[in-house]
This record gives sequence, structure tokens and C-alpha cells, in this order.
Amino acid sequence: MFRKVLIANRGEIALRVLRACRTLGAEAVVAYSEADRESLPVGLADEAICIGPADAQRSYLSAPAVISAALVTGCDAIHPGYGFLSEDEGFAEVVAAHGMTFIGPPANVLGRFASKAGTRQLLGAHGLPTIPGSDGMLRDDMHALAEAERIGYPVLVKPSAGGGGKGMRMVRTPRELESVLKVCRSEAKAAFGDDSLYLEKWLDENRHVEVQVAVDRYGHGVHLGERDCSVQRRHQKILEEAPTPALSDAARADLAERAIRAVVAAGYENLGTLEFLVDRAGNFFFIEINCRIQVEHPVTESLTGVDLVAMQMRIAAGEPLGISQADIRFAGHAIEFRINAEDPAHDFRPGAGIVERYHAPGGPGVRMDSHLFTGYEVPPFYDSLLGKLIVWGPDRETAIARGRVALEELVIEGITTNVDIHQALLASETFLEGRMTTNLLDRVGSAAFLAAAARV
Amino acid sequence: MPDPVPADARPSRDDTERAADHAAIDRLTGELLPALIAKLGATGLGEIEVREGAWRVRLRRPAGPPPSARDRRASDRGAAERSTDRGPERPPRAQHMHPHPEPPATARSDSRSVATSPAVGIYQPRKDLTVGSRVRAGDRLGAVDMLGVAQEVVAPIDGVVGTSLVEPGEAVEYGQELVVVEFGVPMSTNGTGGA
Repeated sequence: MFRKVLIANRGEIALRVLRACRTLGAEAVVAYSEADRESLPVGLADEAICIGPADAQRSYLSAPAVISAALVTGCDAIHPGYGFLSEDEGFAEVVAAHGMTFIGPPANVLGRFASKAGTRQLLGAHGLPTIPGSDGMLRDDMHALAEAERIGYPVLVKPSAGGGGKGMRMVRTPRELESVLKVCRSEAKAAFGDDSLYLEKWLDENRHVEVQVAVDRYGHGVHLGERDCSVQRRHQKILEEAPTPALSDAARADLAERAIRAVVAAGYENLGTLEFLVDRAGNFFFIEINCRIQVEHPVTESLTGVDLVAMQMRIAAGEPLGISQADIRFAGHAIEFRINAEDPAHDFRPGAGIVERYHAPGGPGVRMDSHLFTGYEVPPFYDSLLGKLIVWGPDRETAIARGRVALEELVIEGITTNVDIHQALLASETFLEGRMTTNLLDRVGSAAFLAAAARV
Repeated sequence: MPDPVPADARPSRDDTERAADHAAIDRLTGELLPALIAKLGATGLGEIEVREGAWRVRLRRPAGPPPSARDRRASDRGAAERSTDRGPERPPRAQHMHPHPEPPATARSDSRSVATSPAVGIYQPRKDLTVGSRVRAGDRLGAVDMLGVAQEVVAPIDGVVGTSLVEPGEAVEYGQELVVVEFGVPMSTNGTGGA
């Protein structure tokens, strides 16, 4: 195991990794930007080192700053958390070149799974059904129209680079497609510096289900079940749960087993998540793989009792998994609520400011992963995640009941949060019956959704 | 640089407000502060406050023990205090070690400024400079090696090189105080003579 780990991230995930380091007996150094000087991970760390200004490009996204910080503090590994440098093949390579370990897949594995289209082809060849899409990037409008015709409308226009919904449009007719291509190109160019686009079949009422996998350096892998992330707003997850209410136990097991077989065969290594779209009939289509620890990993930890961050570190350190699939047991039901600094009543406008009062809920099956404390000033420079409330129960009903109590007990004063939307979800028939689809919140409108919940 | 904000406009700022703030900060650090520091030094007053639009800048001589290195770095260029009504509480801080010893808590004088590190890495001072060398604002005082790339450490003000706060070859973090520059310009009408 590592002696000393540099944590190159911030917020709740920096705290989560810090805790995992301590559990494994490794020292932890938190690398932080000037804007995070007074943050909880910095305060609790064994050591902390300022790597740059608030601008993430010059701090959390600066590979030279992060690696330099790890070297001068004598670290032998770097944990990138999620986002920032977590899936950067070049970064992983330079970390290794400096004699340290990148906690994640090795650079060559990140490289093999870097392209979304390439990964679909690779895993498709290893037996996963993939979402029908264009054959490579769209060369021009004529090519786009021909490919859309072949795939069948509706189709989703997607930029090759990036994510987060930018440059994405769903179209139902050739006319619509022609009219959005230009704007998608310019949006993609502006956001990612790359205007290449591709097409994907659009499933009207789809659910987002993902499979957690772990593969050690020796090609031994296990799956840790699936998570349902169908509650989304503009392609951003806001609530995740497991098991998915969308599939039967047999279908869930089939999905997870096919996922782990395919990634092991394709040479994946370390923790990873395979994302699938599931249509109304229960057919599933692979869309992409995330080569990192994910925000929603505690859902899986609650069901399995496995410390995923510790597992990730052990794999990176070259240890064998030491367990087989039969050792992974699933118990009960878990739900994660992402608590964001944003205002559901005003189009989810992000917020920043001082937390006047903070109280985390507790009780059986309740876990709060958050970097908040009373008096903390939420800086305006980064994402809006304030923390994650995870509830577990022996069954879905109990988890929901505990979720209601915990959301009611949670106190965050001074900043507008999206707690209302979670309470509205727990009051909505669609959610309670397990029928949420990825476009439901956007189609109904968050304001209408909140109003409907208020009438119940 | 920490982002000072007007005390009465803390929540939601749009881009134009932000741009205006940044322009104000530049003006503050470039023009107003050196003049105010000189004036405070010359008058022997305990405190000077200047208001300009929504901005308020207050300079105060330290009364009690000198603030910690952390506090000094958090405040802009040392002497200017953020005039906010409520600062964030500190998170619980366990044993908190830096990779380097804290700079010595030298007595604070408002007739000086401190050059800070532009990067995290290994510090090397310019060899031809010694205590007492005259420098102009922007002059190179040394460099911080960040993974083989030298990042320049520059003098924040016109003045005279004073005490070094870190040793050559020592690891430094971003924003760490490295070299004192005394605000000592003899021909200046309201300078205090520095040193």
C-alpha cells in the first residue's frame, strides 16, 4: 500500500479519499487552490499544500502543479478524485514517469477507452449491445442526413468531446437535423475546442442504468451490481438508487455479468462504471464507460459493504482483488440525493455564499458525505455539489421513508439548495412507482414538478 | 489572489459586476495601496480608511501579536484587510503541517511588501541580489521550479531587497511569502525611508 497520497481534488470527494487513506494507514496530503484554503479537507488533512489560484486551469487542472506538489511533499501516489484530471491519460502517464502511482486505470488503459465511439466498438465486439449510432464522426450535412436515415429518427446529435449536455440536441425529422447541426458544431467548438459531432439513436422513454466493475492488474474482475440514475435534469444526475426498479432480478444479474465479462475481455483495469440506456421493453444498450470513482459510488457501498475507494487504491497499488463474485453480497435498497447549491424554483440557478448553519441528519441507514460546516463559504468557482445524502433500508419503502426523515432533518441555511426537488420526488407517484425516465424532469418542467408535489 | 468582494454585494454577481470588481482590485493593488501604505507609515496613524463607491479599504497597524503566515497570505498584499462583516469560521484544524517550516513571524511593518511564490515547487533566489539591492516593481527576484519550468518571482513594489523568508532550494507552495521588499525610496516625498 502507498505510504503517502496526494489528493488532487476538493469538496466532498477530497474528504472521502482522505478517509480512505486513513483507513488504509496511508498519510494524505490535500492539494488545494487558494479559494479552498479554509475548506474542511484542508483543515482535516495531515498536510495541505496550495497549488494555485482559484482558477481550476491553474490549480486542480494543472498537471505540472499537481505533480510538483506531490514530489515536494514526498508522495508516492496521486488520487485524482472525479472530474478534473481523473481520466486524463497524459496526466496518468506523467505521474508514472515521475515514479508515482496514478490511482485509477494505468495510462495505456485510459488511452484504450478514451474515445466513446472506439469504446462502443471495442465492447460491442466483446458482446455488449451498443446504442445504434453513426459510423464515426459526421463529415458533413449530407453524411449526417444519410446516417440519421439509416439509424432511424429520433436521433441525438452529440459532440465527440466533452459532456454535460453542451452541443447536444434531439431531433425527430431531417428538417430539424439540418437546422441544429450548425448550432451544435458552434456550441461544441466553443465548449471543447472540437466541433466534431456524431449521432446516437434516441430512446424516447429511457432509463439510465450503470454497472460498477472492479478489475485488478491480473485480469480478475467482479461487478458490484448496478445503479439507476434515471432522475436527471439536462443530462445531469440528481438522484441515484440501487437496485434499479426498471429491471427484474434476472435481468439485472444478466446485465452486470455481461458488463464485467466484456470489460475484463477488453483489458480494462481498476474501478470503472459502464453506462447503459434501458428502453421500455428492458433492452439495454451500452453508451460509455467512466474510468474513475463516481459521485454516486456510496449507493453501491451501502448495498455491498465494500469500501470502493479503498478497493480502488488497493488495485492501483498492484494488490489482487482477493475476492470473487460470490463474495459480493447485495442487501437492501439505497438512494443517494445530490445536494446542490442551486435553486430549483429559479431554473436551478447555481449559488455561492456563506453557510449560516449546517446540520447533517443521522440515524440508522443514513450517511452524509459533505464538506460543509457552519460558517463555510461556498466559493463560486467550482461545481455546485454541497454533499450527498445516502439512505439505506432493507427494502425500497424503508429507504424512501428514511430519505424523507433525513431530508427534513438536514439543515443548510444561507444558501439555496435543491432539497425541495428531492422532497418533491419522494412525493411523486412516478418516482414512488419506480417509473422515472431520464427526460421526465425536463419534459414536465421542474417548476411544474415542484408545484404538483406541493399539492399532494 | 483571494477574491475580495464588496461587503454589501456578496451573493450573486454577474459578469459585469465581476469585471468591475477585478478592475477595482487591480487599481487597488496597483495605485491605491502603495500610496496608502506610504501615508500610513509617514503619519504614524494607527488606521486609515478610504471609501470609493461600494469599496472600502482599511489599513491598520497590527496591534497585538503578528498574524500567522496563513492570515497574512489570505489578506491581499498583507496590509489590506477585507472589510467584510463576517468571515468564515475555521474548520476544525488538527495537527496541520506544511512541507516547509512556516516563515518566521517577523514584526509587521507597513512600509514593506512581500514577494510571493507564483507556483508550487523548489525556490531559487537570483544570485546577484543581496539584502539592500534596489529593485523596481516587476523585477525578477528569483524563480520557483515547477517540474522543470522556472516560474518568475517578481518584486511587488519599487524598493530594497530585505529578509529572505525561505532558504534557496526549499520547497514552497503557491502564494507562499518568499522575500521581503522594503518600501524604501529615499527620493519619494512621502516614503518612510524603509529598512
